[in-house]
Amino acid sequence: MQTNLPRPKSRFTEDRQALIGALILIAALPFLFGMIPIGGLLTLLPAAWWPALGLTDAHAEALQTAIANWKPFIEFGTWRFLALGLAMTVGVSLISILFSLPLATLAALARLSTRAYVRWPTIAGIEIVRAFPVLILIFYVFTQFSRAAETTGVGLLKTNNVTISVIVALTLYTTVVNAETIRAGILSLDKGQTEAARSLGLTYSQALRLVILPQTFRRVLPPLIAQFVTLVKDTSLGAIIGLLEIYRRGQILYQYFRNPLETLWVISIIYFVVNYLLGQAAERIERRFTGSRRATL
Amino acid sequence: MNAESWYLLLQVGLVATAGLSLAAGAISLLLGTFIGIFRVSPVAPLRVLANGYVEFFRNIPLLICLAFIFYGLPKAGITFPIFEAGVIGISVYTAAFVAEVVRAGLQSISHGQFEAARALGLSYVQMLWLVLLPQVFRMVIPPLGTIFIALVKNTSVASAIVVPELMYQAEVIAGRYFYPDVFLIAGALYLIITLPLALLVNVVEKRLLSGQRR
Repeated sequence: MQTNLPRPKSRFTEDRQALIGALILIAALPFLFGMIPIGGLLTLLPAAWWPALGLTDAHAEALQTAIANWKPFIEFGTWRFLALGLAMTVGVSLISILFSLPLATLAALARLSTRAYVRWPTIAGIEIVRAFPVLILIFYVFTQFSRAAETTGVGLLKTNNVTISVIVALTLYTTVVNAETIRAGILSLDKGQTEAARSLGLTYSQALRLVILPQTFRRVLPPLIAQFVTLVKDTSLGAIIGLLEIYRRGQILYQYFRNPLETLWVISIIYFVVNYLLGQAAERIERRFTGSRRATL
Repeated sequence: MNAESWYLLLQVGLVATAGLSLAAGAISLLLGTFIGIFRVSPVAPLRVLANGYVEFFRNIPLLICLAFIFYGLPKAGITFPIFEAGVIGISVYTAAFVAEVVRAGLQSISHGQFEAARALGLSYVQMLWLVLLPQVFRMVIPPLGTIFIALVKNTSVASAIVVPELMYQAEVIAGRYFYPDVFLIAGALYLIITLPLALLVNVVEKRLLSGQRR
Protein backbone atom coordinates (compact mmCIF):
# COMPACT_ATOMS: atom_id res chain seq x y z
CA MET A 1 0.00 0.00 0.00
CA GLN A 2 1.16 3.45 -0.87
CA THR A 3 2.26 5.35 2.16
CA ASN A 4 1.20 8.93 1.66
CA LEU A 5 -1.71 10.91 0.41
CA PRO A 6 -0.70 12.14 -3.00
CA ARG A 7 0.23 15.78 -3.15
CA PRO A 8 -2.30 18.00 -4.87
CA LYS A 9 -1.93 17.36 -8.57
CA SER A 10 -1.75 20.23 -10.99
CA ARG A 11 -5.07 21.91 -11.68
CA PHE A 12 -5.04 20.58 -15.19
CA THR A 13 -4.68 16.90 -14.22
CA GLU A 14 -7.36 17.29 -11.59
CA ASP A 15 -9.77 18.97 -13.99
CA ARG A 16 -9.23 16.29 -16.58
CA GLN A 17 -9.72 13.56 -13.99
CA ALA A 18 -12.95 15.18 -12.86
CA LEU A 19 -14.23 15.35 -16.41
CA ILE A 20 -13.29 11.74 -17.14
CA GLY A 21 -14.89 10.59 -13.89
CA ALA A 22 -18.07 12.53 -14.60
CA LEU A 23 -18.27 11.03 -18.09
CA ILE A 24 -17.80 7.53 -16.65
CA LEU A 25 -20.61 8.15 -14.16
CA ILE A 26 -22.88 9.53 -16.86
CA ALA A 27 -22.13 6.53 -19.07
CA ALA A 28 -22.73 4.10 -16.21
CA LEU A 29 -26.16 5.46 -15.21
CA PRO A 30 -28.13 3.87 -18.10
CA PHE A 31 -26.67 0.46 -17.23
CA LEU A 32 -27.17 0.89 -13.49
CA PHE A 33 -30.84 1.74 -13.80
CA GLY A 34 -31.76 -0.59 -16.62
CA MET A 35 -32.18 2.09 -19.26
CA ILE A 36 -29.89 -0.12 -21.36
CA PRO A 37 -30.68 -3.67 -20.20
CA ILE A 38 -27.56 -5.80 -20.55
CA GLY A 39 -29.60 -9.00 -20.56
CA GLY A 40 -31.79 -7.50 -23.24
CA LEU A 41 -28.80 -6.63 -25.37
CA LEU A 42 -27.55 -10.22 -25.10
CA THR A 43 -30.80 -11.48 -26.63
CA LEU A 44 -29.48 -10.07 -29.89
CA LEU A 45 -27.25 -13.14 -29.87
CA PRO A 46 -28.55 -16.31 -31.58
CA ALA A 47 -31.52 -17.79 -29.73
CA ALA A 48 -29.70 -21.12 -29.38
CA TRP A 49 -27.30 -19.49 -26.90
CA TRP A 50 -30.05 -18.08 -24.67
CA PRO A 51 -30.43 -21.03 -22.28
CA ALA A 52 -26.69 -21.11 -21.66
CA LEU A 53 -26.69 -17.37 -20.83
CA GLY A 54 -29.82 -17.69 -18.70
CA LEU A 55 -31.85 -15.45 -21.02
CA THR A 56 -35.63 -15.59 -21.35
CA ASP A 57 -38.30 -13.82 -23.33
CA ALA A 58 -38.52 -11.30 -20.50
CA HIS A 59 -35.05 -10.10 -21.44
CA ALA A 60 -36.08 -9.69 -25.05
CA GLU A 61 -39.11 -7.71 -23.93
CA ALA A 62 -36.91 -5.48 -21.78
CA LEU A 63 -34.90 -4.67 -24.88
CA GLN A 64 -38.06 -3.70 -26.77
CA THR A 65 -39.14 -1.41 -23.91
CA ALA A 66 -35.71 0.18 -23.83
CA ILE A 67 -35.78 0.81 -27.55
CA ALA A 68 -39.22 2.40 -27.25
CA ASN A 69 -37.97 4.60 -24.41
CA TRP A 70 -34.95 5.84 -26.33
CA LYS A 71 -36.78 6.26 -29.61
CA PRO A 72 -37.89 9.88 -29.02
CA PHE A 73 -34.23 10.88 -28.93
CA ILE A 74 -33.48 9.81 -32.45
CA GLU A 75 -36.10 12.23 -33.71
CA PHE A 76 -35.22 15.77 -34.64
CA GLY A 77 -38.45 17.17 -33.22
CA THR A 78 -37.51 16.09 -29.70
CA TRP A 79 -34.21 17.90 -29.86
CA ARG A 80 -35.81 21.03 -31.28
CA PHE A 81 -38.36 20.91 -28.47
CA LEU A 82 -35.55 20.67 -25.92
CA ALA A 83 -33.39 23.28 -27.67
CA LEU A 84 -36.18 25.83 -27.29
CA GLY A 85 -36.17 25.00 -23.58
CA LEU A 86 -32.42 25.45 -23.38
CA ALA A 87 -32.77 28.81 -25.10
CA MET A 88 -35.33 29.80 -22.46
CA THR A 89 -33.07 28.59 -19.65
CA VAL A 90 -30.03 30.45 -20.92
CA GLY A 91 -32.06 33.51 -21.94
CA VAL A 92 -33.77 33.90 -18.57
CA SER A 93 -30.43 33.37 -16.80
CA LEU A 94 -28.65 35.93 -18.99
CA ILE A 95 -31.35 38.56 -18.60
CA SER A 96 -31.40 38.02 -14.84
CA ILE A 97 -27.65 38.37 -14.41
CA LEU A 98 -27.46 41.39 -16.71
CA PHE A 99 -30.23 43.14 -14.79
CA SER A 100 -28.65 42.17 -11.51
CA LEU A 101 -25.21 43.68 -12.21
CA PRO A 102 -26.08 47.40 -12.06
CA LEU A 103 -28.45 46.77 -9.16
CA ALA A 104 -25.83 44.71 -7.33
CA THR A 105 -23.20 47.42 -7.84
CA LEU A 106 -25.57 50.01 -6.36
CA ALA A 107 -26.41 47.69 -3.47
CA ALA A 108 -22.72 47.01 -2.82
CA LEU A 109 -21.98 50.74 -2.76
CA ALA A 110 -24.97 51.39 -0.51
CA ARG A 111 -23.78 48.66 1.82
CA LEU A 112 -20.33 50.29 1.98
CA SER A 113 -21.79 53.76 2.39
CA THR A 114 -20.50 55.85 5.29
CA ARG A 115 -24.06 57.00 5.97
CA ALA A 116 -25.68 54.69 8.48
CA TYR A 117 -29.23 55.38 7.23
CA VAL A 118 -28.19 54.05 3.81
CA ARG A 119 -26.00 51.22 5.04
CA TRP A 120 -28.22 49.51 7.59
CA PRO A 121 -31.41 49.17 5.51
CA THR A 122 -29.25 47.78 2.70
CA ILE A 123 -27.64 45.24 4.99
CA ALA A 124 -31.04 44.20 6.32
CA GLY A 125 -32.50 43.90 2.83
CA ILE A 126 -29.58 41.85 1.54
CA GLU A 127 -29.59 39.50 4.51
CA ILE A 128 -33.34 38.91 4.34
CA VAL A 129 -33.49 38.21 0.62
CA ARG A 130 -30.42 36.01 0.85
CA ALA A 131 -32.01 33.92 3.59
CA PHE A 132 -35.11 33.23 1.47
CA PRO A 133 -35.12 30.06 -0.60
CA VAL A 134 -35.20 30.97 -4.30
CA LEU A 135 -38.36 28.93 -4.76
CA ILE A 136 -40.19 31.05 -2.19
CA LEU A 137 -39.10 34.22 -3.98
CA ILE A 138 -40.35 32.82 -7.27
CA PHE A 139 -43.72 31.85 -5.81
CA TYR A 140 -44.12 35.13 -3.97
CA VAL A 141 -43.32 37.27 -7.01
CA PHE A 142 -45.51 35.04 -9.16
CA THR A 143 -48.56 35.26 -6.93
CA GLN A 144 -48.15 39.01 -6.45
CA PHE A 145 -47.84 39.54 -10.18
CA SER A 146 -50.86 37.34 -10.86
CA ARG A 147 -52.85 39.49 -8.49
CA ALA A 148 -51.46 42.65 -10.05
CA ALA A 149 -52.37 41.36 -13.50
CA GLU A 150 -55.96 40.81 -12.33
CA THR A 151 -56.37 44.17 -10.67
CA THR A 152 -54.45 46.42 -13.04
CA GLY A 153 -55.09 44.49 -16.23
CA VAL A 154 -51.61 45.18 -17.60
CA GLY A 155 -51.47 43.06 -20.73
CA LEU A 156 -47.78 42.24 -20.53
CA LEU A 157 -48.21 40.79 -17.04
CA LYS A 158 -51.13 38.70 -18.19
CA THR A 159 -49.46 37.08 -21.16
CA ASN A 160 -45.93 36.67 -19.84
CA ASN A 161 -46.66 36.44 -16.16
CA VAL A 162 -44.59 33.32 -15.58
CA THR A 163 -41.48 34.42 -17.48
CA ILE A 164 -41.50 37.89 -15.93
CA SER A 165 -41.99 36.50 -12.43
CA VAL A 166 -39.08 34.10 -12.77
CA ILE A 167 -36.82 36.83 -14.18
CA VAL A 168 -37.78 39.27 -11.41
CA ALA A 169 -37.31 36.70 -8.64
CA LEU A 170 -33.99 35.43 -9.98
CA THR A 171 -32.76 38.99 -10.59
CA LEU A 172 -33.63 39.90 -7.02
CA TYR A 173 -31.83 36.89 -5.60
CA THR A 174 -28.80 37.24 -7.87
CA THR A 175 -28.58 40.93 -7.03
CA VAL A 176 -28.09 40.31 -3.34
CA VAL A 177 -25.58 37.52 -3.93
CA ASN A 178 -23.62 39.58 -6.44
CA ALA A 179 -23.79 42.62 -4.19
CA GLU A 180 -21.84 40.67 -1.60
CA THR A 181 -19.34 39.52 -4.23
CA ILE A 182 -18.83 43.03 -5.57
CA ARG A 183 -18.54 44.44 -2.07
CA ALA A 184 -15.82 41.91 -1.30
CA GLY A 185 -14.14 42.87 -4.58
CA ILE A 186 -14.15 46.56 -3.70
CA LEU A 187 -12.81 45.84 -0.23
CA SER A 188 -10.04 43.66 -1.65
CA LEU A 189 -8.62 46.60 -3.59
CA ASP A 190 -5.72 48.43 -2.08
CA LYS A 191 -6.87 51.51 -0.20
CA GLY A 192 -4.11 53.41 -1.97
CA GLN A 193 -6.17 53.23 -5.16
CA THR A 194 -8.95 55.38 -3.73
CA GLU A 195 -6.50 57.70 -2.04
CA ALA A 196 -4.44 58.15 -5.22
CA ALA A 197 -7.57 58.76 -7.28
CA ARG A 198 -8.91 61.31 -4.83
CA SER A 199 -5.58 63.10 -4.53
CA LEU A 200 -5.46 63.39 -8.33
CA GLY A 201 -8.54 65.55 -7.95
CA LEU A 202 -11.13 63.03 -9.09
CA THR A 203 -14.53 63.32 -7.48
CA TYR A 204 -15.97 60.37 -5.57
CA SER A 205 -18.06 59.23 -8.53
CA GLN A 206 -15.15 59.70 -10.96
CA ALA A 207 -12.86 57.69 -8.73
CA LEU A 208 -15.47 54.94 -8.59
CA ARG A 209 -16.21 54.93 -12.29
CA LEU A 210 -12.66 55.29 -13.59
CA VAL A 211 -10.51 53.60 -10.98
CA ILE A 212 -12.33 51.42 -8.47
CA LEU A 213 -15.11 49.68 -10.38
CA PRO A 214 -13.08 48.66 -13.46
CA GLN A 215 -10.56 46.92 -11.23
CA THR A 216 -13.29 45.41 -9.09
CA PHE A 217 -15.11 43.92 -12.05
CA ARG A 218 -11.94 42.38 -13.38
CA ARG A 219 -11.43 40.75 -10.05
CA VAL A 220 -14.96 39.49 -9.47
CA LEU A 221 -15.60 38.20 -12.99
CA PRO A 222 -14.84 34.56 -12.06
CA PRO A 223 -17.21 34.47 -9.06
CA LEU A 224 -19.83 36.24 -11.19
CA ILE A 225 -19.57 33.47 -13.77
CA ALA A 226 -19.82 30.89 -10.98
CA GLN A 227 -22.99 32.66 -9.89
CA PHE A 228 -24.22 32.38 -13.46
CA VAL A 229 -23.86 28.60 -13.18
CA THR A 230 -26.00 28.69 -10.03
CA LEU A 231 -28.48 30.85 -11.90
CA VAL A 232 -28.73 28.40 -14.79
CA LYS A 233 -29.43 25.67 -12.25
CA ASP A 234 -31.95 27.79 -10.35
CA THR A 235 -33.87 28.59 -13.52
CA SER A 236 -35.09 24.98 -13.36
CA LEU A 237 -37.21 26.05 -10.37
CA GLY A 238 -39.22 28.17 -12.77
CA ALA A 239 -40.53 24.90 -14.16
CA ILE A 240 -42.56 24.49 -10.97
CA ILE A 241 -44.69 27.51 -11.86
CA GLY A 242 -44.75 26.43 -15.51
CA LEU A 243 -41.86 28.27 -17.16
CA LEU A 244 -41.19 26.39 -20.39
CA GLU A 245 -37.47 25.96 -19.83
CA ILE A 246 -35.55 22.80 -20.47
CA TYR A 247 -36.56 20.82 -17.39
CA ARG A 248 -40.25 21.65 -17.85
CA ARG A 249 -40.03 20.61 -21.47
CA GLY A 250 -38.33 17.40 -20.43
CA GLN A 251 -41.17 16.81 -17.97
CA ILE A 252 -43.69 17.23 -20.77
CA LEU A 253 -41.70 14.78 -22.88
CA TYR A 254 -41.44 12.08 -20.25
CA GLN A 255 -45.04 12.41 -19.21
CA TYR A 256 -45.98 11.82 -22.82
CA PHE A 257 -43.49 9.06 -23.66
CA ARG A 258 -43.42 7.62 -20.12
CA ASN A 259 -39.63 7.49 -20.08
CA PRO A 260 -38.58 9.69 -17.12
CA LEU A 261 -35.23 7.93 -16.62
CA GLU A 262 -34.03 8.42 -20.16
CA THR A 263 -35.34 11.98 -20.52
CA LEU A 264 -33.94 13.14 -17.19
CA TRP A 265 -30.62 11.52 -18.08
CA VAL A 266 -30.47 13.47 -21.35
CA ILE A 267 -31.46 16.71 -19.64
CA SER A 268 -28.91 16.31 -16.88
CA ILE A 269 -26.24 15.86 -19.56
CA ILE A 270 -27.33 19.08 -21.26
CA TYR A 271 -27.14 20.93 -17.93
CA PHE A 272 -23.80 19.32 -17.23
CA VAL A 273 -22.28 20.35 -20.57
CA VAL A 274 -23.50 23.96 -20.33
CA ASN A 275 -22.41 24.43 -16.72
CA TYR A 276 -19.14 22.59 -17.15
CA LEU A 277 -18.17 24.87 -20.04
CA LEU A 278 -19.15 27.92 -17.99
CA GLY A 279 -17.07 26.67 -15.09
CA GLN A 280 -14.09 26.14 -17.36
CA ALA A 281 -14.50 29.65 -18.74
CA ALA A 282 -14.53 31.06 -15.21
CA GLU A 283 -11.39 29.17 -14.35
CA ARG A 284 -9.59 30.26 -17.49
CA ILE A 285 -10.46 33.90 -16.89
CA GLU A 286 -9.38 33.61 -13.29
CA ARG A 287 -6.04 32.19 -14.36
CA ARG A 288 -5.50 34.90 -16.93
CA PHE A 289 -6.37 37.79 -14.64
CA THR A 290 -4.58 36.57 -11.59
CA GLY A 291 -1.83 34.52 -13.22
CA SER A 292 1.04 35.67 -11.09
CA ARG A 293 -0.81 35.64 -7.80
CA ARG A 294 -1.92 32.04 -8.20
CA ALA A 295 1.73 30.96 -8.20
CA THR A 296 1.36 29.76 -4.60
CA LEU A 297 -0.95 26.92 -5.60
CA MET B 1 -60.25 31.93 6.65
CA ASN B 2 -59.18 29.76 9.48
CA ALA B 3 -56.07 30.90 11.23
CA GLU B 4 -55.80 27.74 13.28
CA SER B 5 -55.51 25.32 10.40
CA TRP B 6 -52.88 27.55 8.78
CA TYR B 7 -50.92 27.55 11.90
CA LEU B 8 -51.15 23.80 12.03
CA LEU B 9 -50.10 23.37 8.40
CA LEU B 10 -47.10 25.64 8.83
CA GLN B 11 -46.17 23.86 12.02
CA VAL B 12 -46.28 20.48 10.30
CA GLY B 13 -44.25 21.94 7.46
CA LEU B 14 -41.66 23.39 9.78
CA VAL B 15 -41.19 20.03 11.51
CA ALA B 16 -40.86 18.27 8.14
CA THR B 17 -38.34 20.86 6.94
CA ALA B 18 -36.31 20.42 10.10
CA GLY B 19 -36.43 16.62 9.78
CA LEU B 20 -35.51 16.76 6.11
CA SER B 21 -32.63 19.13 6.83
CA LEU B 22 -31.24 17.10 9.70
CA ALA B 23 -31.50 13.74 7.91
CA ALA B 24 -30.10 15.06 4.63
CA GLY B 25 -27.45 17.00 6.52
CA ALA B 26 -26.23 13.92 8.37
CA ILE B 27 -26.25 11.66 5.31
CA SER B 28 -24.59 14.22 3.04
CA LEU B 29 -21.93 14.84 5.68
CA LEU B 30 -21.13 11.13 5.84
CA LEU B 31 -21.28 10.56 2.09
CA GLY B 32 -19.43 13.79 1.33
CA THR B 33 -16.65 12.97 3.77
CA PHE B 34 -16.07 9.60 2.11
CA ILE B 35 -16.09 11.14 -1.35
CA GLY B 36 -13.76 13.89 -0.16
CA ILE B 37 -11.35 11.27 1.19
CA PHE B 38 -11.59 9.32 -2.06
CA ARG B 39 -10.72 12.48 -3.97
CA VAL B 40 -7.25 12.45 -2.43
CA SER B 41 -6.98 8.68 -2.28
CA PRO B 42 -3.84 7.02 -3.63
CA VAL B 43 -6.09 4.64 -5.59
CA ALA B 44 -6.50 6.25 -9.00
CA PRO B 45 -9.93 4.85 -9.98
CA LEU B 46 -11.45 5.99 -6.68
CA ARG B 47 -9.96 9.42 -7.20
CA VAL B 48 -11.28 9.73 -10.74
CA LEU B 49 -14.78 8.57 -9.80
CA ALA B 50 -14.96 10.79 -6.73
CA ASN B 51 -13.78 13.80 -8.74
CA GLY B 52 -16.34 12.93 -11.40
CA TYR B 53 -19.12 12.66 -8.82
CA VAL B 54 -18.40 16.15 -7.55
CA GLU B 55 -18.08 17.60 -11.03
CA PHE B 56 -21.36 16.02 -12.12
CA PHE B 57 -23.57 16.94 -9.19
CA ARG B 58 -22.16 20.45 -8.94
CA ASN B 59 -23.33 21.14 -12.45
CA ILE B 60 -26.88 19.82 -12.46
CA PRO B 61 -29.91 21.28 -10.65
CA LEU B 62 -31.16 19.70 -7.44
CA LEU B 63 -34.62 19.49 -8.99
CA ILE B 64 -33.29 17.02 -11.56
CA CYS B 65 -31.80 14.77 -8.86
CA LEU B 66 -35.09 14.77 -6.99
CA ALA B 67 -37.14 14.14 -10.13
CA PHE B 68 -34.79 11.34 -11.17
CA ILE B 69 -35.21 9.62 -7.83
CA PHE B 70 -38.93 10.24 -7.39
CA TYR B 71 -40.26 9.96 -10.95
CA GLY B 72 -37.45 8.05 -12.67
CA LEU B 73 -36.28 5.29 -10.35
CA PRO B 74 -39.71 3.64 -9.90
CA LYS B 75 -39.39 2.80 -13.62
CA ALA B 76 -36.25 0.85 -12.72
CA GLY B 77 -38.16 -0.91 -9.97
CA ILE B 78 -36.66 1.18 -7.16
CA THR B 79 -39.35 2.96 -5.18
CA PHE B 80 -38.81 5.20 -2.18
CA PRO B 81 -41.45 6.76 0.04
CA ILE B 82 -41.82 10.51 -0.58
CA PHE B 83 -39.87 11.74 2.42
CA GLU B 84 -37.01 9.28 1.87
CA ALA B 85 -36.83 10.24 -1.79
CA GLY B 86 -36.42 13.86 -0.72
CA VAL B 87 -33.73 12.99 1.82
CA ILE B 88 -31.78 10.88 -0.67
CA GLY B 89 -32.00 13.42 -3.48
CA ILE B 90 -30.87 16.31 -1.31
CA SER B 91 -28.11 14.21 0.32
CA VAL B 92 -26.68 12.99 -2.96
CA TYR B 93 -26.65 16.54 -4.30
CA THR B 94 -25.22 18.18 -1.18
CA ALA B 95 -22.56 15.49 -0.71
CA ALA B 96 -20.75 16.90 -3.75
CA PHE B 97 -20.36 20.25 -2.01
CA VAL B 98 -19.32 18.63 1.26
CA ALA B 99 -16.72 16.55 -0.61
CA GLU B 100 -15.27 19.69 -2.15
CA VAL B 101 -14.82 21.25 1.28
CA VAL B 102 -13.40 18.09 2.86
CA ARG B 103 -10.90 17.67 0.04
CA ALA B 104 -9.74 21.26 0.36
CA GLY B 105 -9.32 20.67 4.09
CA LEU B 106 -7.32 17.49 3.58
CA GLN B 107 -5.06 19.14 1.02
CA SER B 108 -4.40 22.12 3.24
CA ILE B 109 -2.89 19.95 5.98
CA SER B 110 0.87 20.15 6.17
CA HIS B 111 2.66 17.23 4.58
CA GLY B 112 4.64 16.68 7.75
CA GLN B 113 1.46 15.39 9.39
CA PHE B 114 1.26 12.45 6.98
CA GLU B 115 4.92 11.67 7.35
CA ALA B 116 4.75 11.83 11.13
CA ALA B 117 1.65 9.63 11.22
CA ARG B 118 3.21 7.07 8.92
CA ALA B 119 6.49 7.17 10.82
CA LEU B 120 4.57 6.30 13.98
CA GLY B 121 3.39 3.17 12.21
CA LEU B 122 -0.24 4.15 11.80
CA SER B 123 -2.08 2.49 8.96
CA TYR B 124 -3.65 4.61 6.24
CA VAL B 125 -7.10 4.40 7.81
CA GLN B 126 -5.73 5.12 11.28
CA MET B 127 -3.87 8.10 9.90
CA LEU B 128 -7.05 9.45 8.37
CA TRP B 129 -9.23 8.75 11.38
CA LEU B 130 -6.86 9.72 14.18
CA VAL B 131 -4.67 12.42 12.68
CA LEU B 132 -6.11 14.04 9.59
CA LEU B 133 -9.90 14.10 9.94
CA PRO B 134 -9.94 15.65 13.42
CA GLN B 135 -7.87 18.52 12.08
CA VAL B 136 -9.89 18.77 8.88
CA PHE B 137 -13.22 18.92 10.67
CA ARG B 138 -12.04 21.66 12.94
CA MET B 139 -11.02 23.64 9.91
CA VAL B 140 -14.08 23.05 7.78
CA ILE B 141 -16.81 23.74 10.32
CA PRO B 142 -17.51 27.25 8.92
CA PRO B 143 -17.81 26.21 5.26
CA LEU B 144 -19.85 23.16 6.29
CA GLY B 145 -22.15 25.50 8.19
CA THR B 146 -22.62 27.56 5.05
CA ILE B 147 -23.42 24.39 3.13
CA PHE B 148 -25.94 23.33 5.76
CA ILE B 149 -27.67 26.71 5.56
CA ALA B 150 -27.92 26.31 1.79
CA LEU B 151 -29.26 22.79 2.38
CA VAL B 152 -32.04 24.08 4.64
CA LYS B 153 -33.05 26.51 1.91
CA ASN B 154 -32.75 23.78 -0.70
CA THR B 155 -35.22 21.54 1.13
CA SER B 156 -37.88 23.86 -0.30
CA VAL B 157 -37.23 22.28 -3.70
CA ALA B 158 -38.51 18.97 -2.28
CA SER B 159 -41.99 20.50 -2.44
CA ALA B 160 -41.79 19.75 -6.17
CA ILE B 161 -41.90 16.04 -5.36
CA VAL B 162 -44.72 16.69 -2.88
CA VAL B 163 -42.70 16.29 0.30
CA PRO B 164 -45.04 18.05 2.75
CA GLU B 165 -42.45 20.50 4.06
CA LEU B 166 -42.75 24.21 4.71
CA MET B 167 -42.77 25.36 1.10
CA TYR B 168 -45.37 22.76 0.18
CA GLN B 169 -47.63 23.77 3.05
CA ALA B 170 -47.26 27.41 2.03
CA GLU B 171 -48.39 26.47 -1.47
CA VAL B 172 -51.35 24.61 0.00
CA ILE B 173 -52.32 27.60 2.12
CA ALA B 174 -51.84 30.03 -0.76
CA GLY B 175 -53.99 27.87 -2.99
CA ARG B 176 -56.70 26.91 -0.54
CA TYR B 177 -57.22 30.31 1.08
CA PHE B 178 -55.95 32.45 -1.79
CA TYR B 179 -53.53 34.17 0.52
CA PRO B 180 -50.22 34.60 -1.38
CA ASP B 181 -48.60 36.58 1.43
CA VAL B 182 -48.17 33.26 3.22
CA PHE B 183 -44.94 32.92 1.23
CA LEU B 184 -43.54 35.83 3.21
CA ILE B 185 -44.46 34.04 6.43
CA ALA B 186 -42.86 30.83 5.17
CA GLY B 187 -39.78 32.81 4.13
CA ALA B 188 -39.60 34.32 7.59
CA LEU B 189 -39.75 30.83 9.06
CA TYR B 190 -36.79 29.79 6.90
CA LEU B 191 -35.07 32.93 8.13
CA ILE B 192 -35.74 31.88 11.71
CA ILE B 193 -33.94 28.59 11.05
CA THR B 194 -31.05 29.91 9.01
CA LEU B 195 -30.26 33.17 10.81
CA PRO B 196 -29.18 31.57 14.11
CA LEU B 197 -27.17 29.05 12.09
CA ALA B 198 -25.43 31.89 10.23
CA LEU B 199 -24.63 33.64 13.50
CA LEU B 200 -23.32 30.37 14.94
CA VAL B 201 -21.09 29.87 11.92
CA ASN B 202 -19.70 33.38 12.38
CA VAL B 203 -18.95 32.78 16.05
CA VAL B 204 -17.27 29.42 15.36
CA GLU B 205 -15.25 30.95 12.55
CA LYS B 206 -13.95 33.69 14.82
CA ARG B 207 -13.16 31.16 17.54
CA LEU B 208 -11.23 28.96 15.15
CA LEU B 209 -9.31 31.92 13.73
CA SER B 210 -8.31 33.11 17.18
CA GLY B 211 -7.34 29.52 18.02
CA GLN B 212 -5.01 29.41 15.04
CA ARG B 213 -3.35 32.65 16.01
CA ARG B 214 -2.25 31.23 19.34
